[in-house]
Amino acid sequence: MSSFEGRVAVITGGGRGMGRAHACRLASRGASVVVQDILEAEAYETVRMVRDAGGEAQAIVCDVTDIRSVRAELAAMERRLGRLDILVNNAGIGGEAPLEEISEQEFDRMFAVHVKGSFFATQAVVPGMKVRRAGKIINISSIWGMVGHHAASDYCGAKAALLGLTRAWARELAPWNIHVNAVAPGGVITEMVLQQPNIESRMAEKIKLVPLGRYADPSEIAETVAFLASSEADFITGQVISPNGGQTIVGI
Amino acid sequence: MTHDLHGRIAIITGAGSGIGQATAWLLAERGAAVLVQDIDPDGAAATAARLDRQGCDFLVVVCDIADPQADRRIVETALDRWGALDVVVNNAGIGIDRSIEDIDETAFDRMLAVHVKGTFFTTQAAVPALKQSRHGRVINTSSRWALAGHDRASDYVAAKAAILGLTKAWARELAPHRITVNAIAPGGVKTAMVRHNLGETGIAAEEKLVPLGRWCDPSEIAATTAFLASDAAAFITGQVVSPNGGKTMVGF
Repeated sequence: MSSFEGRVAVITGGGRGMGRAHACRLASRGASVVVQDILEAEAYETVRMVRDAGGEAQAIVCDVTDIRSVRAELAAMERRLGRLDILVNNAGIGGEAPLEEISEQEFDRMFAVHVKGSFFATQAVVPGMKVRRAGKIINISSIWGMVGHHAASDYCGAKAALLGLTRAWARELAPWNIHVNAVAPGGVITEMVLQQPNIESRMAEKIKLVPLGRYADPSEIAETVAFLASSEADFITGQVISPNGGQTIVGI
Repeated sequence: MTHDLHGRIAIITGAGSGIGQATAWLLAERGAAVLVQDIDPDGAAATAARLDRQGCDFLVVVCDIADPQADRRIVETALDRWGALDVVVNNAGIGIDRSIEDIDETAFDRMLAVHVKGTFFTTQAAVPALKQSRHGRVINTSSRWALAGHDRASDYVAAKAAILGLTKAWARELAPHRITVNAIAPGGVKTAMVRHNLGETGIAAEEKLVPLGRWCDPSEIAATTAFLASDAAAFITGQVVSPNGGKTMVGF
């Protein structure tokens, strides 16, 4: 297993759940991590966890949809740390609303966080990656982006858009040896899931849909992210890996 | 370390050359005891020589993977020696670029027997032992051509596509036993088989068609297999990972 020693990784939405797990895992394998989140206390808590474990971490507190802030903060980090090698576009928001209940404002926010946020964070890190002729972009999609869901069509649409960005960027950035892939998690036990109403009683039902009979811990998704971010995946680009316990098995 | 394979017992078919050989070496390097199967005694011996030099725990079985009786013997040999089995890498394969008119019945039968029957009956023989393992893994070797087709070798393409069918069915069937089943669909790999078929100039021409501008070394495919064999991939099942340099990106 390769090390991330000397590499800098940016994780958007790194203050909680899967994003925190990605930050902790990349850091434990040697990366210096930049934890972006809109939630200040959460971002600094992740930074503290990484530092307590002997790793290096910095926080960026801003809204991922605030393009000017994202640009300025990432540029400042790149100057300070000398490089940004890995970007995990993880910041996301949930939802499970039926079509009729999704307002324009909610729709815009959903796409702004997932799609616009990922787009402009990537735009900000790519110039440096092109200069170094190396880079890893990992977009966090979802099984709902692959196969849909009976609600949350705004979320499904945004997560599918991330798969489109993944494939387009994989082609566009390949000449600079920048690898772009997506991770499409299935059921993961995160704060976002646990906040759903009546989640405890619904969990047994949800797990019944998963052939492996369980949801994943965020750390398991982080392992796939870390694999794709590593030199072991240097021939993998434009692909989607879906750790989903067998819940979603789809055509190629 | 979640990528560690100490204590795991792995069978790698077609391990006398190319991807299979690289896979046997990498799994052993990460601590697994490995059974090296190949039809070619010289290839198997070459794989074994390095395992021996490195003090790895290994066995060699020389047989034809297309013979179900031989497949059962492979598994029995592993169980006699180690008493358990955790990982099966179904890798044995043959490849010849022929047009449809040039594929006779014998060639057709052989193509399907090696890839499909070999994969099927090796796995069937292994399943009782894999059910006892807490980390059961089946990793099938498909091909980028099974995803995207090819202008020749339709017998090969069909056999590799059948392997995706087995992968997805077994992922569901074996999930209750915590056995994960995934496929790797390699793109261009510089193996002896391909060097023989295309020659160096042929490979150089093909490399120009790959977004990343190169073909990979067998060890890079082995790295994906080693990831899927590890605890880090415990929530991944029924999936296809295609290290192909961006040559093929396909839909969900």
